[in-house]
Amino acid sequence: MTEAALADQLRLLPDYLGHHLTLTLVALFSGIAVCLPLAILVTRVKPLQWPVLTVASVAQTIPGLALLALMVPLLGRIGFLPAFIALLLYSMLPILRNTVTGILGVAPDILEAAEGLGMTSRQRLFRVELPLAAPVIIAGIRTATVWVVGSATLSTPVGATSLGNYIFSGLQTQNSTAVLVGCAAAAALAIVLDQLIRLGELAVAGRSRTKGWLAGAGLLFILLSTLILQIPTAKGSNVVVVGAKPFTEQYVLAEALAQRLTQAGLRAENRSSMGSMILFDALTAGHVDCYVDYSGTIWANVMKRQDLPPRADLLEQMKNWLQREHQVRVLGALGFENNYGLAVPKHKAEALELASIQDLARHAPHMTIGADFEFFVRPEWKALREAYRLDFREKRTFDPSLMYAAAREGVVDVISAYTTDGRIIEYDLAVLTDPLQALPPYDAVLVLSPAAARRAELVSALKGFDGIIDDGTMRAANKRVDVDGESPARAARFLLEAVGLSSPAKGGEGSDS
Amino acid sequence: MICIQQVSKTFDQGRSFAVQEVDLEVGAGEFLVLLGESGCGKTTLLKMINRLVEPSRGRILVEERDVCRVDPVVLRRGIGYVFQGVGLFPHMTVAENVAVVPRLLNWEPSACRDRVDELLRLTGLSPRTHRDRKPHELSGGQRQRVGLARALAARPRIMLMDEPFGALDPMTRDGLQREFKRLQQTLNLTVVMVTHDMTEALLLADRIAVMKQGVLVGTGSPGQVLRNPSHPYIAALMETPRRQADQVESILRSGGEGK
Ligand SMILES: Nc1ncnc2c1ncn2[C@@H]1O[C@H](COP(=O)(O)OP(=O)(O)O)[C@@H](O)[C@H]1O
Ligand SMILES: [Mg+2]
Repeated sequence: MTEAALADQLRLLPDYLGHHLTLTLVALFSGIAVCLPLAILVTRVKPLQWPVLTVASVAQTIPGLALLALMVPLLGRIGFLPAFIALLLYSMLPILRNTVTGILGVAPDILEAAEGLGMTSRQRLFRVELPLAAPVIIAGIRTATVWVVGSATLSTPVGATSLGNYIFSGLQTQNSTAVLVGCAAAAALAIVLDQLIRLGELAVAGRSRTKGWLAGAGLLFILLSTLILQIPTAKGSNVVVVGAKPFTEQYVLAEALAQRLTQAGLRAENRSSMGSMILFDALTAGHVDCYVDYSGTIWANVMKRQDLPPRADLLEQMKNWLQREHQVRVLGALGFENNYGLAVPKHKAEALELASIQDLARHAPHMTIGADFEFFVRPEWKALREAYRLDFREKRTFDPSLMYAAAREGVVDVISAYTTDGRIIEYDLAVLTDPLQALPPYDAVLVLSPAAARRAELVSALKGFDGIIDDGTMRAANKRVDVDGESPARAARFLLEAVGLSSPAKGGEGSDS
Repeated sequence: MICIQQVSKTFDQGRSFAVQEVDLEVGAGEFLVLLGESGCGKTTLLKMINRLVEPSRGRILVEERDVCRVDPVVLRRGIGYVFQGVGLFPHMTVAENVAVVPRLLNWEPSACRDRVDELLRLTGLSPRTHRDRKPHELSGGQRQRVGLARALAARPRIMLMDEPFGALDPMTRDGLQREFKRLQQTLNLTVVMVTHDMTEALLLADRIAVMKQGVLVGTGSPGQVLRNPSHPYIAALMETPRRQADQVESILRSGGEGK
């Protein structure tokens, strides 16, 4: 870990931390505001207890990432809202359960004394039951706080910025500095919030002014810093949201688009690490303004086509279809193709005399194939399997960043590689040919949301990308991140310079004036 | 002051009765002790007076008003209650515990403070050392004193007391009993006190009401229940204190012979 790499990451901290704090605090305060009254109701109306606690428990058993991803189709939105709702649900169980346990745990003779002295049921609640249950309730809130701070890192794939941006992009680009900074920041935040609540509790229980002031000052400091951290990123109406799927090439391209937009005097904001379909839906709904997709992906996954016309034809048909069906504008093909291909280590290809997928089919029953999370459920896989009658001994899925290493180290025999990935050369892999043309071409295309397509200044800023990046240049940029450990932002500057889209002199100027 | 008319209570739809057809009157300023073995229904009867338990049948009048027709909250704030297990609020200090009812009645904070100190002194506690303690920092006897102070705080005219001196050692109990008896006379309190201790009943009561298995078997002044009990059960109950008194007397007499 070099100092420069760390400085690179720390520059992102205010933005990520600000978003993370906002998300966490809003979810937690809402969680408390919803759960306390609900828990009190449940202790008063016994038949509600079982259903309410069961629903909360079930929400808790859904893995955090899945719960977040589920919110996107349910709410039809990406970004803050689905992340907020999912985290709210996640915070509910500990607060609900502890409040109910705390209130029901108050000794019956104490309750009878309260009633016998003439307290109304409201007075009993506020003067006796809640104060006596407070330690248990606060323990629940502390648990919820730690969970929510942790789970908020998972909101990156649904388009909400958080400290998870460090972790997701760091894992994809094998940048361990980013991953470490993200984890450390999230852990520190969890500890600080948890201890602040504890301090507040001690202050109240011990009636200590000093502790009370400390806890209050701490909370105020956090609220103020959240506000301050949020100001520079507060959304103006003219911010351009640039999306990216969770792999290196996408980060680099999103950075390149953002840099280009900034040079043109526009404000750009990145939404990284989003799933393919989430990203496309976000584009059509206008929550994301632009990103780079691939013709074959749209052809097979969005248009659900199974026929395979020649490359140029497919591109033209896709362009027209997107415009007609979704008013999505294809601003242009960037020039390179990032195909799905099956890759094997070179030595293995030579030993088994593998050149094409056809050659592979004979050996498949003795082989293990590794692929990214999406591949085996994508129509491309089905087409490939049927065309070549592929039948592997075992299928395994990997995070894309680990897939190549798995092939190199022989953990799997074949992988579904991206042809522009820098690691194909670096790890000595060979991409097998596709003589039956079962896989569609994957021209990188720049797509704009309907609203973005109407913004002349945006269109003119991005126009220059048409047809200027060739396979080699893209692979070189990707390699800088995946193999050399550069940040996507640096690799994007390299890419823009390589294709003549940026004058180096401009780099340091205040670009968002 | 308190008028109990044909009151019954069942907890199991009439299969058994915790209290059965009890008729009892308590006059203003009277100290009535409800005496009986444990489980005979004393607590249940006491709780029906301030409606912590609803009667299954019959009627209870407190100061001429049917308790089932008045707001129970108002009723309870006007009646002091000392609970069988003391039932102090563990999260409140002694002062806060004592001031509960005055606060519910919206007394001025300064009036509450003065009243707390007055009551702590009255029940033999030192305001300075005890007012800011939590219940768990007190001895059993001190807790019972605080329970008594809490019941007296809003100057009720009626006190309901459920074995208020139960958990005390004999010395402390004797002291506190006598202090309370004096207090009851000076304040002219109407008291209904539950106990299963025959001696306590005899020493404190103006009148004793004896219960057995939910039924009131008879009432009478301490002298009456000792000398001509109206029911064999009362006579049997009084056998113990009488025998103890005889033994104590004979010890005293033999000691007087100056061996
Ligand atoms: N809430 C209740 N539910 C059911 N049974 C009760 C309840 N309270 C008291 N009882 C029963 O009523 C009877 C009288 O109880 P109680 O009035 O507490 O007796 P005492 O105070 O004389 O010891 C006992 O048999 C007891 O089990
Ligand atoms: Mg009892």
